[in-house]
Amino acid sequence: MILLTAILVGVLFAQSTYLILQRSFVRILFGIILLANAANLAVLAMSGDPSGKGVPIADGRTELSADPLPQALILTAIVIGFGVAAYFIALLYRTFLDWKTTDAGELFAKSTTDDSNSES
Amino acid sequence: MIIILPVLIPLLTAICGLLVQKSSIGRRWFFGFSAWVQFGLAIYLVREAWVSGTQGLYLGGWEAPIGITLVLDMLSALMVGMATLMTLACTIYGFYEQKVEDKHPLRLPLIQLLLVGMNLSILTGDLFNLFVAFEVMLLASYALITLEADDWDVRQAFPYVAINIFGSAFFLIGCGFTYGLFGSLNFADIALQSEQMLADGEGSPYQVELLAMLMVFVFAIKAGAFPLYYWLPNSYPILPPALAGLFSGMLTKVGVYVLIRWLGTVMPHDLDFIYNVLVWVGIASMFFAVLGAVSRNFIRGILSFHIPSQIGFMLLAIGFFTPYAFAAGIFFLLHNIMAKGSLFLCGGVVTFLCGSDDLKKTGNLWVASPLLGVVFFVQAMSLAGLPPFSGFWGKYMIIREGIALGEYVLVGFALAASVLTLFSMLKIWLASFWTENPDVKPRVDDKRWRKMTYAVGGIAIVSLFMGLGAQLFVELSMMASEHVLDRVGYAESILTGREFR
Repeated sequence: MILLTAILVGVLFAQSTYLILQRSFVRILFGIILLANAANLAVLAMSGDPSGKGVPIADGRTELSADPLPQALILTAIVIGFGVAAYFIALLYRTFLDWKTTDAGELFAKSTTDDSNSES
Repeated sequence: MIIILPVLIPLLTAICGLLVQKSSIGRRWFFGFSAWVQFGLAIYLVREAWVSGTQGLYLGGWEAPIGITLVLDMLSALMVGMATLMTLACTIYGFYEQKVEDKHPLRLPLIQLLLVGMNLSILTGDLFNLFVAFEVMLLASYALITLEADDWDVRQAFPYVAINIFGSAFFLIGCGFTYGLFGSLNFADIALQSEQMLADGEGSPYQVELLAMLMVFVFAIKAGAFPLYYWLPNSYPILPPALAGLFSGMLTKVGVYVLIRWLGTVMPHDLDFIYNVLVWVGIASMFFAVLGAVSRNFIRGILSFHIPSQIGFMLLAIGFFTPYAFAAGIFFLLHNIMAKGSLFLCGGVVTFLCGSDDLKKTGNLWVASPLLGVVFFVQAMSLAGLPPFSGFWGKYMIIREGIALGEYVLVGFALAASVLTLFSMLKIWLASFWTENPDVKPRVDDKRWRKMTYAVGGIAIVSLFMGLGAQLFVELSMMASEHVLDRVGYAESILTGREFR
């Protein structure tokens, strides 16, 4: 099972790397969301064999319960990732409204060396 | 109990600020008062760490290594002190930067939330809690970076957010890796177990090295080290000056702090390969970034490129990996937080007076405002590392250790980078303060710039004190470096009720 998860993590990583290297910001967004999911799965896979680790509070009755800690970590990470992804989508939408494009090449085509002086 | 307060007070302040969103003088007084209280508390924490050394706080009564632990030692106390000092100065500076009515109501609560994240990542003794604290800090920074940006600037925020989420994903993988390897996420427990594992010959040392390298990669992204600093000089100039001071002063330095904690306290002390990598990464970032700074011709751009350059010095000190080099790195870190932050704030005053921070459109400032000139000069020379300012002592300690170790090539590179720093600082000084520019009429009628200068002057006085009375701060740094590198002592004071060799 761990091996299958590890292979899945590898595939997800390959896909997200491919997407992050694209020019379009939308694809980068998808790539980053995929990367967050790959990381969550990687935590599950890397935390090792869950049997025998047990719950810290249930004294003596650990054989029926899996190790809860990696799951707690992943749950926290999913919630955080959700918030970050929501912010990221909103930021992308704002950029699209302002510039009418999400292509990195077009967006940064204008000179970037002295643009920070443009305001006030 | 008192250790949680640097996290709790800003959190409560931020919540109160979110409840009352209408900008008013009373609201400002509230935030200013809270910032002063936090600063006072941080000074008390430094005294506490001085008197009683490393101590832990178990949240919810769950003893380590099961529950989340907060740890106070000299280094974390000093860093909390710097974080609250910078927040105080930037909050007060921000009051005068904008009039009450056109101020964004979310800015002050978000600054407090940023401080929650920074203080928690400084004080925590638990790897996953560190991840959460980083996320709190980064989410507040994402919001702040776009809060007052116009549509021209907002596109620069995208790479900043993207690179940080990318880093966070690897941080999470590192947490999972650590748990898989040691079955624990508590710093003290990891420190003991990694020692035990290497001593017993169980598990391969390469696994520990790989884990250490993964985390170093993550923290180097957050700190803005070569070759991952390209997001930094483009995204920081879009911030308003008050926030740029806080971001450049504290945010990247939290990455360096965590790197010191990770390599010094948590990981075994024989990862020579990583130390060598860090030294050369440090040299590369100090050199390439300073060349970028020389090529820029507006103040915020020059200062932004200096951030990775100074980070390079800290990485060099960490890479030498001796107690003295750690003390030097910590001293330099403290100096750099104040110098960098206050230079950004000075740049903000220059923009306020001249209407622009393009070097061609500034001038006459020495005549218009000698006070600002003195503050800028003190901090710029301190950044470049001229005696008797604080930057000199930091660089002197690092370079002395380099010579003692016989690393003459590295020392040569560091000195060359310092000369280039001095050159780019003089560029600002000559163009903005020394030159007579008939086209520029500084707006001295608007008295707000004076109060802004006083806020910067406050940091400059602390910084000057650090340079002239270096003895005290060197002793504090020595003590901090002792606390960080004493892994067994750290574990003993956190994991009570365990057997130690």
